[in-house]
Amino acid sequence: MKKVSMYTLSTCPWCRKTKQYFTDHNIPFQYVDYDLQSVQEQEKIEQEMKKRGGALSFPWVLIGDDLVVGWNPAKYDELLAVSKASAR
Amino acid sequence: MNVAARKRSLRYFFAKVVAPLGYKFTPDNDLADYLLEQESHLEEAHGSPFCPCQGLTQNHEDNMKIVCPCIPYHREHFDYMKRCWCGLFVHKDVTDPDSLPQISYEDFRKAKDARGSGEGR
Repeated sequence: MKKVSMYTLSTCPWCRKTKQYFTDHNIPFQYVDYDLQSVQEQEKIEQEMKKRGGALSFPWVLIGDDLVVGWNPAKYDELLAVSKASAR
Repeated sequence: MNVAARKRSLRYFFAKVVAPLGYKFTPDNDLADYLLEQESHLEEAHGSPFCPCQGLTQNHEDNMKIVCPCIPYHREHFDYMKRCWCGLFVHKDVTDPDSLPQISYEDFRKAKDARGSGEGR
């Protein structure tokens, strides 16, 4: 199974829905709430996000090496289906 | 700060600002209420009602582009999605906001480039 990690905001309802999606699908994930980090840590995260392109928009979800920015369950489904198929 | 009163003020003010842009509040009242509450808290903590779904940085100019309603700074991107990033506002013709996924700026730009032009950010 692909590793799932994400950057989120504690104030963002779509980040909350994204976490719930992975919980409901029994897929382990790690997350970091950007807004609750120190300034130094936020700057590191900002660099990482901008290096992959785009703005500082959340949720920012890595499924394996694939990046999905935003609440997009159809895209999560698609990437997880590939992940499940390759694990067989 | 009285959060309930501030939410009412923001709702009144925002409605007047977004209507001429072709937007309205999301018909999802629970979502709108939650987002306005978060914006009230962000305003109290950081001085302006920033978007709850975009990150603040140490760059003041960048931060000003995510003060709600931030539609004018992201007009083409949001018009493409028919919603703003956090979903507080949707195009006036939208009745089912759940049908509108968030589309990243990168994906929007790729789609736009494929059609032959780009948006400055």
